[in-house]
Amino acid sequence: MKSALKWDILAKCSTTKARAAVLTLPHGPVNAPVFMPVGTQGTLKGITPDQIEGLGCQIMLNNTYHLGLRPGQELLDACGGAHTFQGWNRNLLTDSGGFQMVSLLKLAEITEQGVQFESPHDGSLMLLTPEHSMSLQNSIGADIMMQLDDVVSSLTTGPRVEEAMWRSIRWLDRCIKAHKKPETQNLFAIIQGGLDPVLRKKCIEEMVKRDTPGYAIGGLSGGEEKDKFWRVVSQCTDLMPREKPIYCMGVGYAEDLVVCVALGVDMFDCVFPTRTARFGNALTSTGTLSLRQAKFKDDFRPIEEGCDCIACKSYTRAYLYTIVTKETVGCHLISIHNTAYQLRLMRQIRESIIEDRFPQYIHKFFKDLFVEKSAYPEWVVNALKSVNVDLIEGDKQQA
Amino acid sequence: MSSFSFKLQDNSAAKSHLHARTGTLAIASAHQEKRQIDTPGCFMYSIKGSVPHLTPDNLRQQTFGGVNVAMEQILQTDQPQSFSKWTNPFAPESQKLMSVADYLHLQDLILLCDFHDSAPLEPFSKRASNTDYHVVLSTPKGIRQLTLEDYLKIVRHYRPDIVAALTDSILETTQTAGNPTPHKKVPSQKRVRKSVDRSLKWLDQVLEERQGRDGMAEDRKKEQEKRTKREKKQKARDAKNAVDGDTEMTPAANEDQEEGNAFVSQPWTDITVFAHVQGAHMKEERIRSAQETARRDQVQGFIIDTNDLWATLSKEHEKRSGEILAHVQTSLTHLPSEKPKMVYGVRTPEDVLKAVAMGVDLFDTSYPYQLTEDGKASLYEYGVEAAAAAPSIPTTNKSVVTNRWINLWDEEHADQFKPIMEGCECYACKGNRHTRAYINHLLKTHEMLATVLLMGHNMHQYSLFFSKVRESIQDGTFEAKATLFSEVFGIEPESTGEKHEAQIAVEAALQKRNQRLETAEEGVVEAIGGAVPAGQPVSKMEDAEQQASKKKRPSQEVEEGVDIAAKEKALKK
Repeated sequence: MKSALKWDILAKCSTTKARAAVLTLPHGPVNAPVFMPVGTQGTLKGITPDQIEGLGCQIMLNNTYHLGLRPGQELLDACGGAHTFQGWNRNLLTDSGGFQMVSLLKLAEITEQGVQFESPHDGSLMLLTPEHSMSLQNSIGADIMMQLDDVVSSLTTGPRVEEAMWRSIRWLDRCIKAHKKPETQNLFAIIQGGLDPVLRKKCIEEMVKRDTPGYAIGGLSGGEEKDKFWRVVSQCTDLMPREKPIYCMGVGYAEDLVVCVALGVDMFDCVFPTRTARFGNALTSTGTLSLRQAKFKDDFRPIEEGCDCIACKSYTRAYLYTIVTKETVGCHLISIHNTAYQLRLMRQIRESIIEDRFPQYIHKFFKDLFVEKSAYPEWVVNALKSVNVDLIEGDKQQA
Repeated sequence: MSSFSFKLQDNSAAKSHLHARTGTLAIASAHQEKRQIDTPGCFMYSIKGSVPHLTPDNLRQQTFGGVNVAMEQILQTDQPQSFSKWTNPFAPESQKLMSVADYLHLQDLILLCDFHDSAPLEPFSKRASNTDYHVVLSTPKGIRQLTLEDYLKIVRHYRPDIVAALTDSILETTQTAGNPTPHKKVPSQKRVRKSVDRSLKWLDQVLEERQGRDGMAEDRKKEQEKRTKREKKQKARDAKNAVDGDTEMTPAANEDQEEGNAFVSQPWTDITVFAHVQGAHMKEERIRSAQETARRDQVQGFIIDTNDLWATLSKEHEKRSGEILAHVQTSLTHLPSEKPKMVYGVRTPEDVLKAVAMGVDLFDTSYPYQLTEDGKASLYEYGVEAAAAAPSIPTTNKSVVTNRWINLWDEEHADQFKPIMEGCECYACKGNRHTRAYINHLLKTHEMLATVLLMGHNMHQYSLFFSKVRESIQDGTFEAKATLFSEVFGIEPESTGEKHEAQIAVEAALQKRNQRLETAEEGVVEAIGGAVPAGQPVSKMEDAEQQASKKKRPSQEVEEGVDIAAKEKALKK
């Protein structure tokens, strides 16, 4: 199908499956691997678009379900889409909205036609179809839009997983058909198939035939064992076309990002950094600081030494302790810091790939975070070993 | 060394019989660019040392040259004792002691440090009274008594540009059996007199100390007498107890005193002192306080806090501002014209104009803040013939009609893809970047960007108002324009403190969800427990997080309203 993006791979890691690339979208270039902050309702948690740009963010997420409810399709059409609506001139990605139907609404029922649910407004029955989702996403005008998929929890087993996989393929066809602006908006397919390698393989085979501009790995980050999670990711990146961007949905913890980049993933998103910020938790390379704790009362250091965000350049932990979770400024500052942290992490990863020292970066990253090798999570060690990085012995060989 | 100056401009050409004047309050120092506030102007209103909703970068888009910080909101429970720990990580040489401006990252503004919130919301939560030896502060951790000695230590460590001398404000409330919520209490004449006397005594002591002289001698003498009495009693008791066995020696009390003495020799004349004038609702006491305070030459400026008048004002909204201004006038008449005067509790544009006409120089920015909290965006303009921006707009309170602001909670703005004000240069309005429709959406979805944008706009318009007022004083059009303003915009409708009906509905709908999410997040915080300790598997964090998101993809976890838990707490104050 038609594509409105350019995918230029700049460098490939000589050890792992990681790559550095430039993804050129209608609203400008995106340096990959990339973490995309989530602005669910058309705003990133109290941070102005200028501040988001200032952090170096090139692409942000919006949520189709939420924007469809408020401000609604009519108003989005009236103002010319979500970019104008929120004053954001860089790229946007929207998900299909199907996931929210299932997760947020108790009485959602999935049929071949679509997702049926009770309107949160008047309780009447409503139906979200692939066609409706495409229509909403066309109104939003996101640079990347996601197909409506049949979502099942990654803990589900049995025939329901296979049913969801096949239905997602059929819905992809309907999405492609209903997509009105393939010249300016890119539609990504979402690979389903649960934790079953056979189903994943089949799904990839079928979806690759549809030749969408990019692909996402869906149905993960839902509470499955991490050792199963990474194996599915790695299997998918092996089978997916390498000349297109690969997006792993809902992944955002720093260690997951480092591992998944090594496994060949290019794009990520997660609400975690901004959500946890509002509860006073600041992310650093040595772990999370819960700034609500009294031990920060007399800690006159910035959140993280060397961080150039406005929170770290202006304030000490001691002052932040007095305002986090109490003043909105406290929330904004930690949200800005956490977003800056995520984006800096991705920049560092990308630079190390371009300079072909990503394995060394991985060693340092985990040493900073866990200090002791005995503390390294087993799944991380296993996952990285599968791409030739031995966390336990490898750093000695390199030294 | 930094030096304070206040220069009035010669506007005699303007030929006005009013007392309105323009000037410049400035702080010059060797190591920093000169900082200044053009008057009439404002010290920005802050909460816990931050201007509400504005991160430091957004704050710098505003043009107010100063900020007012309330000691009671930032003082930690173990301060001043723990000040030795105050180090500045941003200073070039390590271990450099931090000033309050460093702590709050406000070095480029003129920092005025006072005790109390200059715009407290009713009813006051404070229920204790000041005594001869301390004032009562309402800190985030509760009521605290601040002695003069501690105050002096704090000033020496904070090193603000300007400090308000310790004063006896009457901000008392009473609680009766029939009425469990604290309500305002009309102070007795005796109490008002005492307030004037105490404030003057403390002012003299503060000024002595500022010169490096011992201002505490008398207090210590009294304290020593008390202590001697106590010790005598103790000895008598000990003698009795000695019969039963050994007694423990009471620790010598001299150490404290020596420490206190060590400070006394250090003058702090580079910190400017502003003094509160007191007198509450009693005219003769207001005059006495103003006259006596004015005699102290070291005092460089005066603060007239009208918040303590509330209990004595009439119930009718329309009359109140007139009554407040009459009291302000009483004080002003007896204060030297060449020094700056600041007023608390006079904040609406029309009241500001009246106060400016009397010769008041300085205000705070609590007005734009309170508009913001209500979801209002200001439309008033100084010097316009008619309210071009908007016709009279009925607000939620059906009887209230105003053209000075719009309430963006109103559904009629949902499809208005135009800026709050055409031609406004604030971040939201400029280039029509953030429309009325978008801000209405942000309010309805309870997104914090709403107040960020509103605060930016309302603060910008307030500063523009002041700059146009200054121009008009200089070019002789102040009188005419002030009259025009009240003709076009009338007076501020009474704020009933009621929330917009849309806001009430949205908050109710989110209440349950917030509770669930907050409970879930507690679990996460517990699991993380600060910096992930060495050896703790991070998977534990994930487990908790996944529980929190109830097996959802975190990316698509419902986000709406999570922030509200924090925001509501802030609003409840």
